[in-house]
Amino acid sequence: MINFNYVQASTQKNVTDTLMKDGTAQIIAGGTNLVDLMKRGVAAPQKLIDINNLSLKNIEQQKGFVRIGALALNSVVAENELVVQKFPLLSKALQSGASQQLRNMATVGGNMMQRTRCSYFYDTTMPCNKRNPGTGCGALKGYNRMHAIFGATENCIAVHPSDMCVALAALNASVIISSSRSERKIAFTDFHKLAGTNPEKDNTLQRGEMITAVEIPDANNFAQHSTYLKIRDRSSYAFALISVAAALDMNGGKINNARLAMGGVAHKPWRLTTAENFLKGKAATEENFKQAAALAMKDAKAYRHNNFKLTLAPNSIAEALKIAAAM
Amino acid sequence: MNDNNKDDKTLNHSRRQFFKISTALTAVALTPSYILKAADDNMDDKIAELFEKRDLNIEVNGIVHTLSIEPRVTLLDLLREQLKLTGSKKGCDHGQCGACTVHVNGQRVLSCLSLAIMQDGKKITTIEGLAKGDELHPMQAAFIKHDGFQCGYCTPGQIMSAVACVREGHANNEDEIRSYMAGNICRCGAYPNIVDAITEVKQKGGTI
Amino acid sequence: MGYYFEDGDRVNGKDIVTGKAKYTAEHDIPNLAYGVLVGSTIAKGSIATMDTKSAENAPGVLSVITHLNTPVVPGYDAGGLPIKTPVSGKNLQVFNGPTIYFNGQPIALVVADTYERALFAATLVKAQYNKEAQVTDFLEAGKTVKAIDTAKYKDNIRGEVDGYKNAPVKIEAEYIVPIEVHNPMEMHATIALWDGDDKVTVYEKTQNIKSAQRNVMSAFKLKEENVRLYAPFVGGGFGSALRTWPHCIAALIGAKKTGRPVKLVLGRDQMFNSVGYRPYTLQKIGLGATADGILIGITHEANSITSMYEEFNEGSVNISRSLYNCPNVTTRYKVFPFNVSTPTYMRGPGEATGAFALESALDELAYKLNMDPIELRLKNYAEKDPENGKPYSTKFLKEAYKLGADKIGWAQRNPAVRSMKEGEWLVGFGMSTGVFGAYRNNAKALARIFADGTLLVQSAVSDSGPGTATSMTKIAADGMGIASSKITFQLGDSALPPGPGQGGSSTTASLGSAVHDVCESLKKKLAELAKDAAVFHTETIHNPKPEDFVFENGYILLATDRTKKLSFTEVLKQNNLNQVEVTEESKGSEEMKKYTAFSYNVHFVKVLVHPTTGVVKINRVVAAADAGKIISYKTAESQIIGGAVGGIGMALMEEGVIDDRYGRWVNNNFADYHVPVHTDVPHIEALFVNQPDYILSPTGAKGMGEIALIGFAAAVANAVYHATGKRVRELPITPDKLI
Ligand SMILES: Cc1cc2nc3c(=O)[nH]c(=O)nc-3n(C[C@H](O)[C@H](O)[C@H](O)COP(=O)(O)OP(=O)(O)OC[C@H]3O[C@@H](n4cnc5c(N)ncnc54)[C@H](O)[C@@H]3O)c2cc1C
Ligand code: SF4
Ligand code: FES
Ligand code: FES
Repeated sequence: MINFNYVQASTQKNVTDTLMKDGTAQIIAGGTNLVDLMKRGVAAPQKLIDINNLSLKNIEQQKGFVRIGALALNSVVAENELVVQKFPLLSKALQSGASQQLRNMATVGGNMMQRTRCSYFYDTTMPCNKRNPGTGCGALKGYNRMHAIFGATENCIAVHPSDMCVALAALNASVIISSSRSERKIAFTDFHKLAGTNPEKDNTLQRGEMITAVEIPDANNFAQHSTYLKIRDRSSYAFALISVAAALDMNGGKINNARLAMGGVAHKPWRLTTAENFLKGKAATEENFKQAAALAMKDAKAYRHNNFKLTLAPNSIAEALKIAAAM
Repeated sequence: MNDNNKDDKTLNHSRRQFFKISTALTAVALTPSYILKAADDNMDDKIAELFEKRDLNIEVNGIVHTLSIEPRVTLLDLLREQLKLTGSKKGCDHGQCGACTVHVNGQRVLSCLSLAIMQDGKKITTIEGLAKGDELHPMQAAFIKHDGFQCGYCTPGQIMSAVACVREGHANNEDEIRSYMAGNICRCGAYPNIVDAITEVKQKGGTI
Repeated sequence: MGYYFEDGDRVNGKDIVTGKAKYTAEHDIPNLAYGVLVGSTIAKGSIATMDTKSAENAPGVLSVITHLNTPVVPGYDAGGLPIKTPVSGKNLQVFNGPTIYFNGQPIALVVADTYERALFAATLVKAQYNKEAQVTDFLEAGKTVKAIDTAKYKDNIRGEVDGYKNAPVKIEAEYIVPIEVHNPMEMHATIALWDGDDKVTVYEKTQNIKSAQRNVMSAFKLKEENVRLYAPFVGGGFGSALRTWPHCIAALIGAKKTGRPVKLVLGRDQMFNSVGYRPYTLQKIGLGATADGILIGITHEANSITSMYEEFNEGSVNISRSLYNCPNVTTRYKVFPFNVSTPTYMRGPGEATGAFALESALDELAYKLNMDPIELRLKNYAEKDPENGKPYSTKFLKEAYKLGADKIGWAQRNPAVRSMKEGEWLVGFGMSTGVFGAYRNNAKALARIFADGTLLVQSAVSDSGPGTATSMTKIAADGMGIASSKITFQLGDSALPPGPGQGGSSTTASLGSAVHDVCESLKKKLAELAKDAAVFHTETIHNPKPEDFVFENGYILLATDRTKKLSFTEVLKQNNLNQVEVTEESKGSEEMKKYTAFSYNVHFVKVLVHPTTGVVKINRVVAAADAGKIISYKTAESQIIGGAVGGIGMALMEEGVIDDRYGRWVNNNFADYHVPVHTDVPHIEALFVNQPDYILSPTGAKGMGEIALIGFAAAVANAVYHATGKRVRELPITPDKLI
């Protein structure tokens, strides 16, 4: 790892000013992703801005939503009373990620900003457009078991690895982004982007900006019927092959409203709006779940090693819906 | 003090310059002359050391250390290589095994992904700080009793994690223990015995 | 509240749980420098030019060593590895020439004053290569790559060639075991210190102290007394630490070049191509039987890989020659050299690979015959070694089948596929047999009793996890008749009497015999010293002989009159001695040549399989072992548990992946190469027949470490078949293979 300059920021403005001024500076929060990337030479910031002294840890009820500060720890969010009560889906998604030690370090902002786990991205001797634009995509014709089936391009077929983000996408959360001059609020689903022609950018955050909070609307009835199903190669401490966040607003056996998002399938948390719309007003039957799942798979495309996802994904969607409905 | 001053509270201009040079090993022309002179005298290591190091106050197992370290030093390497506390293990160095688990201000974290410089003013507990003198911590005793290890290499991490697991209230049944211990890999496969050890400590109750 | 050690607790447990135990990289050596290896980025070709300037100029760097400036290693071949075809036992000679044999091969060693600086400088070393096309893809085996063709790879035929083909009921199938990597938790490491030109101290992660010492001796042409090697604690190995690998020699080179002690620790990524792995093996099995399940023929073929410079082979097909009574057995074994590092024995070695195929095929045959898999195995039970007709030293496999079957409730299951359910999960039961030769090697031990009644036993062996010091202490305690707490078993030092390597499950039988024998000699010596003592001379007793004494609780007693006794302490005092010591070497008996010795373990597994997502949960594991006498119950149970956990990894998740376009590893880390975690492992029930084998060794112990794993993966595959009706013949059984 190269040596670097380390500063502790005491105000938000410190951070955004420094980020604006110095293109080689990077925020460090929990460090669980960034330190790893630096060890491998994938990231080499010359300056680290430690933001842990900022007061961005709060989780609080506001009118119509719950606001979670960007520095709230994954373990804390997962067990926060408001979250457990109103968004058990988020709690479950967080619990299924990483390990308790990592969740004790990882922050909400850092989790959103974590980079793909594509092995080619991590190995600096391999081609990778995301790490080194223009070198090609190592995974495209390489080992791509973990890779995307939705929205990928030849430029990059990586997936976003977060579990938390899948739940937040399903819950219609928003992201609060601050720069030195302004603050903006965007839909969570607009935060991450598809690979497109510039896979080196994972999201829509601009230079000089930082994440300060996420807000989750709570005026809904999804808490009773929601689940996060994560399928992976071992039963814990592993990234998802496929994950599904499913939340249903039910009235007896009827579905008023549905929310569905997937992880492990795209460059961003993947909302399944067609399937959601299909389920609206339908009976909660296995048949309907299967149909919804089939609709969700339209436009899916597999590569050499991830063909199984074309079956595993719809099966997992149907299974998650079944679990959520049965609650 | 205004924000800008706080931002770079420790670095003056020349230091920052040197910093870039010594790490990137380029642009000798930009180097302040007294540093070039020192380099001519074959002192560049010494200087680099001086300029790249930062002060750190850290309490480890009740002892306060005042140190000067490079910001890139991880907590794990600080413990193992500089403080000679080799009880915390390195099993991967990338957050993927749990062998390096320590407590920072009472919470279990991975020391291999923690920069030491970010622990300024914090209290660290490692496996060496768990027993009270000769008296083993109940979790340590339970690991021996249940043969919760074979080669012993993952063990300090397992024990630090297990103690936290109980303290957090995540040891109420075997499945919960397994979930909350999943971040500690044991290649020897002592898992069932570890679960037994934790279960026993939890059932005995008391503060641990 | 203190903890009181109980008998059976590990003797080094307190050091381990308090963090005091010093593993290889943890010895505090003054003036230590840090070495970091730089790996090649191509898999075949040669280094054209190297740029080490910026690394050399980086802060704190003491030296950058490459093939261009390496100090000569006198034991290496002058002028580089002269390799045309792979040679058995020819390890990679680090920095000996520009030739690249595999991706990640060490091309430079950076030594710096701190770990961080060495790591950083290592990233600055750059090489240009003359690249050639590598082969790492097994599809090329037999096409562009030819198998090594020497006498030992001749077809091995008992009875009729491919005799199974003539049987009324036949099974033919292909099975694949992918690359698996030992990945002990402690990464391999070496600390090397030169004391002058011809003397070194080495701290080395090794399962084989004396062999590591010999390797250092022969590399640098040093005398035995000038190579001191320590390995007091070894953080696992599973076979990876049985050999001495190039990084050890590299550390010695670095220390020589810089004149400072050098510590070199491999990174986890380097653990995948520096210290061996279980090689990819494609197997074909043909089984033929009569309609009532009598085996007529077995044909077992295995095709595996090795490196370009070194031949590696293992017993992948042997299990088919010895496990069942079968007249016609044909085995074929081929090894193809690829641009990879050399594989090595990994727990259960080739036998585990072979057992997956054979024991899966047997299950397939049982279903085809509509016969219970245990019944099929009992029908073909070998009462004597089918290879040579020799009797078994001991064999309690039948008993093990029964023990395990009863425990898991084998008879109560419904054997029809997809017939059992728990909720929506499919339930499956599976079983398989593990077998491994029971070996005993030469071993030496020293025993020294002190005037205070304590006993020191020594041997140059290392303990990578089985609890060697604990079981040896137990053997010494039983042998000498003193409490375990009075015994210290010292290991991990090459200067001690030569102990065996810790491999092939032979430590307990080999070293245990030496400890047993040395205790017998020490008792004789004590008896000799005691026999003239006054207490043993009364009106009724005259001139007792050594064999008239027994030893209990630290006393030497007259067998015929136990009131006549003398403490060991007294014996020494009366003879004016501070200590008495003996050294014994123990070898396998002549008698043993008349027998065949095997250890056995029967695995029973219950799995739950999710019908639509393909998730497999190991719900229950019962292992029933015939491993001879159980010396130390707790550690023996742990061995079986550990093997089962390794088996869960092999069955469900472990798979090393190389991108053939580059010949480079793509999942060489613990996040992508999955090994079992807590949630993958249920309680594991370990049962032992516990019958001694005194023909093999005076301790009665056979082996345990390998059989704990051998066959396990087949039991899982068989259970998955029972649950789902899907036969997975390519490991690991990941969700994608079941949907
Ligand atoms: C072995 C392992 C297993 C894991 N398994 C999972 C898993 O199963 N599921 C899962 O979801 N995750 C998993 N993770 C990832 C983990 O959740 C992330 O590493 C973590 O969430 C990152 O948070 P952090 O605070 O540590 O981020 P850091 O490492 O501190 O930062 C990561 C990035 O975010 C930027 N950043 C941080 N905060 C802000 C902010 N407020 N505004 C703008 N930029 C910011 C940093 O500049 C950096 O680029 C795993 C990690 C490891 C090491
Ligand atoms: S998938 Fe994306 S991250 Fe992976 S190699 Fe291709 S470009 Fe890089
Ligand atoms: S060494 Fe820190 S998690 Fe493995
Ligand atoms: S005891 Fe060896 S890795 Fe856990």
